[in-house]
Amino acid sequence: MLTRLSFRDGVAGLVFLGLLAFAAQAEYFGLELLAEIAIFAILAMSLDLLAGVTGLVSLGHAAFFGLGAYGFALLTVLLGWPPGLALMVAPLATGVLALVVGAIVTRVRGIFFIMITLAFGEMGHEFVFQNRALGGDDGLAGIPRLDLSALGLDLADPRVFAVTALLLALLVYLALAWLLATPYGKALAGIHSNEQRMRALGLPVRAYKTSAFALAGAIAGLAGVLAAQHTQFITPQLLHWTTSGEILVMVILGGLATLVGPVVGAILLTLLRHELSNYTDYWGLWLGLFLILVVVSGRNGIVGVAGQLWRRWGPRRARARGHA
Amino acid sequence: MLADPGFWLVQGLNSLQLAMLLFLLSVGLTVIFGLMNFVNLAHGSLYALGALIGYSIGQWSGSFWLAFATAPLVVAAIGALLYATLIDRLRFAGPMNQVLVTFGLIFVLIDVQRYLWGSDQLGLTSGLPFPGSVEVLGEPYPAYRLFIIAVGLGVFALLYFWLERTRLGAEIRAGVDDAETARCLGIDVDRTFFLVFLVGCALAGLAGVIALPAFPVEAGMGVSILVPALIVVVIGGLGSLKGAMVGALLIGATITFGQVLVPAFAGILMHLLLIAALLVKPEGLFPVRE
Repeated sequence: MLTRLSFRDGVAGLVFLGLLAFAAQAEYFGLELLAEIAIFAILAMSLDLLAGVTGLVSLGHAAFFGLGAYGFALLTVLLGWPPGLALMVAPLATGVLALVVGAIVTRVRGIFFIMITLAFGEMGHEFVFQNRALGGDDGLAGIPRLDLSALGLDLADPRVFAVTALLLALLVYLALAWLLATPYGKALAGIHSNEQRMRALGLPVRAYKTSAFALAGAIAGLAGVLAAQHTQFITPQLLHWTTSGEILVMVILGGLATLVGPVVGAILLTLLRHELSNYTDYWGLWLGLFLILVVVSGRNGIVGVAGQLWRRWGPRRARARGHA
Repeated sequence: MLADPGFWLVQGLNSLQLAMLLFLLSVGLTVIFGLMNFVNLAHGSLYALGALIGYSIGQWSGSFWLAFATAPLVVAAIGALLYATLIDRLRFAGPMNQVLVTFGLIFVLIDVQRYLWGSDQLGLTSGLPFPGSVEVLGEPYPAYRLFIIAVGLGVFALLYFWLERTRLGAEIRAGVDDAETARCLGIDVDRTFFLVFLVGCALAGLAGVIALPAFPVEAGMGVSILVPALIVVVIGGLGSLKGAMVGALLIGATITFGQVLVPAFAGILMHLLLIAALLVKPEGLFPVRE
């Protein structure tokens, strides 16, 4: 089994071990950062399933992130549901919505797909922004965290929350890594590399794309539920196109279709945002420059480049196998 | 309100005026897209630059007309700079990379604008042309807004003449229709593209500077107008001048009447129109290519 561990899983193992080790000894501020990293890692991995694996670059992915958060807030704050139930219902509802949206947007391809997802994302943002019941542009406060005292855990403790979020991120990674190895995952990758051919082979391409869109939406919704519990205060900014852009930069900076790349991207971008915000108000400038530089360089992000180096200079077996 | 013909007249003029701004912005987008399959998401940021540069020139010189004449040229120069540094090397990088780079460019340009002009809303206060209002069929209407409508229609007429009646226009249309064949016939498609790109940037700058006396301007205003402009381009048909005009009229009316009649759904209405257009007629109202 150990010999079949891929380069990707190796990197992921190191990354998650490092994050958990940091969580064991970090102070309050570090723990808050870790929880944020875990949330964005989940979100970026869900976009990687869509953009990296299936080739559906969405500029409106943050809408599902925000809808998950608002769904959780709506159920707990406004309807008084127990957080445990809302935790499960909100991502599912987001997934169902993403299924409907996915059925529409996958009818168009390429550049049109990008525009229609941008439009859907903006529509979601507009809807929440204008909706007084959801707090409009003031946002919603007083969102509860899940009560895990039955297990002897206190999620109000930043360390417990950060570790829980990290473990959830690890779970999402493992689930997606498993999914990509199944025939279903292979079919998604096949659609990315040659859609015509997959159709010729008799694959119902639209159904596959739509289901991938729904799954990515549901996982983004899960990240949103975590984000709502983390900050306990949410604003329409969660759904904004700039958030979509930020997630996309995480995925591209880390490496498309590498699954662990988006986690690396989430770590780097979250740290950079906090570091740079000490020195400059112009975070977007750096974000935009990173995106431009990575795309113009024509390389597949950090993990993509590391994988190439590993194949060239790593142990013989890795070279002989010819893939990471 | 709805039975009052004055209401329909004023709102009709308002939507016409918004449509002209959208037209000026989308015409560059659509022809660049049609000619080279290049989507410049940062086009809206050039509109914002036009407004902000116009504001600074107007403040410095006290003359709106100087701003009106020079801001589009400055924006075109910025466009040339972008072309030389980024756009040219992306020509054959595929649509996905182009979208991502110009998306990144939006972030960069917004912060450059915030750095240079701050984050507050700005507006010219003196030296404004056409102050006051005129009577249109018995209804008072701001004279300056009529000027915006006139500029939009004038640019449309000029572009129509340029594209339909001159040799260069014919070369551009040939490039939109089939770039490979046009190249084989000896048309310098690359030079044509550069020229069209510059004109598109200048028109985006023009849209920005003429919006200046009528609307408050701020860094980042380019993004809120980008989505409507993209919708205009898609609805009209990529690469079509007529399509850009018809699409702009449609979206201008949708936004204006939406805000007055169903304010809660105004923002959603426009997006629904795009989604409907993409699903029912993805090639647009005036498809240029078969």
